[in-house]
Parts: sequence; structure tokens; C-alpha cells
Amino acid sequence: MNILRFFFLIPLLAISKQLYAGNDTLLYTPSVRFGVDVSGFARQMVEPETFTLEASIDAEWRENHFAVLEAGMLSVDMEKETHRYQANGYFLRIGHDFNILGRKPENPNDLVLLSVRYGFSSIAHEAPFVEIHDPYWGNYHTFLPSEQYRAHWLEAGVGLKTELWRNIFIGWSLRGRLLLTTTKNTEMEPYYIGGFGKSNGPASLSLLYHFSYRIPLLY
Amino acid sequence: MQIPRKITYAPCRNTLLMLAGMMVLLCSCQDDEVCEEVTANDLRIGFYMDGADDDSWMAVDSLRVYTLERPGQPVHEHLVSVSVMELPLNPAADSCSFVIDFYDLADTIRIVYSRETHLISVECGFTMFFDIKETSHSTNHIVQMHQSVSYVTNTLDEHIKVFLPDTIAGDQ
Repeated sequence: MNILRFFFLIPLLAISKQLYAGNDTLLYTPSVRFGVDVSGFARQMVEPETFTLEASIDAEWRENHFAVLEAGMLSVDMEKETHRYQANGYFLRIGHDFNILGRKPENPNDLVLLSVRYGFSSIAHEAPFVEIHDPYWGNYHTFLPSEQYRAHWLEAGVGLKTELWRNIFIGWSLRGRLLLTTTKNTEMEPYYIGGFGKSNGPASLSLLYHFSYRIPLLY
Repeated sequence: MQIPRKITYAPCRNTLLMLAGMMVLLCSCQDDEVCEEVTANDLRIGFYMDGADDDSWMAVDSLRVYTLERPGQPVHEHLVSVSVMELPLNPAADSCSFVIDFYDLADTIRIVYSRETHLISVECGFTMFFDIKETSHSTNHIVQMHQSVSYVTNTLDEHIKVFLPDTIAGDQ
């Protein structure tokens, strides 16, 4: 809980700071930023069977308003004594970020972002080897052929971005997600929905860490 | 007209906090490969007294249960004062038959079902869920049989009610 408190406190502090300091519109420069999410690499350290790679592009089309497109791929290859499960797919998220911090002369490139997204994921998954143990009937071997699974969801979140060095940004984003629809009548539920997370229920929570590079559009 | 401004690097006080948070969260992740879910999906049968007003179980004294497919390998033997029993459905076939031997007379119940391979979790692997399509029984002791829940999963539902005459009741 202390970790969550820490993550929620920073945006609250930022909001209170904004109330006492006006924005400087002269600090605004239209820009496009390209980023990669590195949380997939971190996750692979603790869940070696799952790998996600994600890239993003955002454009500040209006001061403090960012149009965002995030896209990525998912790969799962899990082999255990009793089963093997494989999945491959891609996901897309489209949405909007709003910088509640505004522009500050001392830190014009620090952003505290509120995010909303619509997400879509498509995966093909299969279980080429399945052993079901039954103490009376003995072990039963089967397999599940490849099938397509799709999911749509909405997500909202809060995050930080800060300039590490000339136009290079680092940041994190905490996202809560709610499934809207998924493929029905499937032989098996996926282990992991790319871009959404583990499919344990209709909601998920995850943390993204991103590095990004901004191209200022000076004219 | 907008005035372009020279962009300078401004160290952020939040950066260190952010990196610290990242480390804390990474360290808090653990990979526990322990299966903590119920993986057995047995058919659950409850015994009831035929003609009784209430819907409470009756206890049956002395039971032996085996399958027609493996008659020499009993599923249960010398069950005493049993009111609910669990029977394993065959994951490799779409039907199976159980003989319930009351030690004076025996009844056979036949279950026809469809199967669904289900991924429980990465730790527990796969299991088989069953959807009961049809049931039938002999009538040496069993008066009637009702299907109450058709989907046999890892929950504790009672799937079939078997109604017996009161002459077969054991010690309550």
C-alpha cells in the first residue's frame, strides 16, 4: 500500500503546485515523441515465458494535450512438465494524455499525465502438448490447436515524464484496464492478453516504464 | 506568432523518486510456481430419500463403487454413512458408467458428456471440464435421478440427485 500511496501522492502534489503557479504559454513547442516501453524486459526477468515489446508515438497537438498511439507485440512460450502453451499476437492502444502540471519555466519538460486509452489485442494461441493427470483413469494426453482470440478494453491512468537529457525522456505510467468484449466460445482462455495483462478477470492494473525521444517541431 | 525557446536540460526532482519506485516494484515481483487452485473436477452425487418432504440428504450405509470400464479397480470401497460422493469422469471418453453396489443389489448409472480442456494457470496447467448431456440408471434401488447442475468444473456443486427408498438408509 505504501508503494501505491507514493505513486498517487506525486500527481496530487503536482496539482497543488499548479494551483499556485500560472502556466507559461511561451514554453509550448509542438512536438512529436517516439518511445519504447521497457517494462516488458523487466517482466521477462520474473516471467521468462512472457515477452512483450511496445513502442509509442505521441504528438502535442495543443498545449498540454497529447494524441497517443501505442503498439506492441506479445510472445508467450511456456513449457512445463504437464503442458506447453504458446501465443503470439499484437496489440494497439489509441488515446489521449493531458498534462495537469502545465508548463513551468524552471522545468518546462516535466509532465504529469492523465491518460485515457482504447485498446485492442489479437492473439493466436495453442497448447501443442497437454497432460491431464487423473488418479483413477491415469494420465490423458491431448492438444489444443491454434485459435484466434481478440479483446477490446478501455483504460485510464496517471503517469510522469521527465526530460533526462536533451529531448530524451524517462517516465512511468500506472494504468487500470477494464475489458469490454472478448472472443466467445473459445477452447481455452489466453494466459496473457497482449497490452492488457494476465487474463484473470475483467480488470487489470499494470505499470509501464518508458524511454522516449522528442522531436520539437520548430517553425 | 510563437517564439521558439531554447530547450535546456532541467534536472527533475521526481527522477530519483521515480527510479526508486521502479526498483521497489521490480524487487517486489516474485515467481511463485505453486499451484494453489483445485484441479479435481469430480462428478458430485447426493443421495436423497424418495418421497421425503424436505430436501435434505440421506445417509447410505455401506457402498462400493466401480466402473464398467475398470471393474477390478473400485472407485470407492466400504463407504459408510455416505450422503454425497464424488466420481471421476473419464477425461479420455465422452461417457462412462458407474456401478453403485449397495452390497445386496447394485445399480448402474451412465453419464454422457462433452469435454472441454481448460487452462487453469501456468502453475497448475490444464484440467478437463465436463458438460453433462444425458444420464440414465437402472432401478434396482434407485427410484429416480435428477440432474441439478450440468457443468462439472472445479467448484463444489452437486450435479446429480439420486433418490432412494427409505429401506436403504443407514445410520444418520
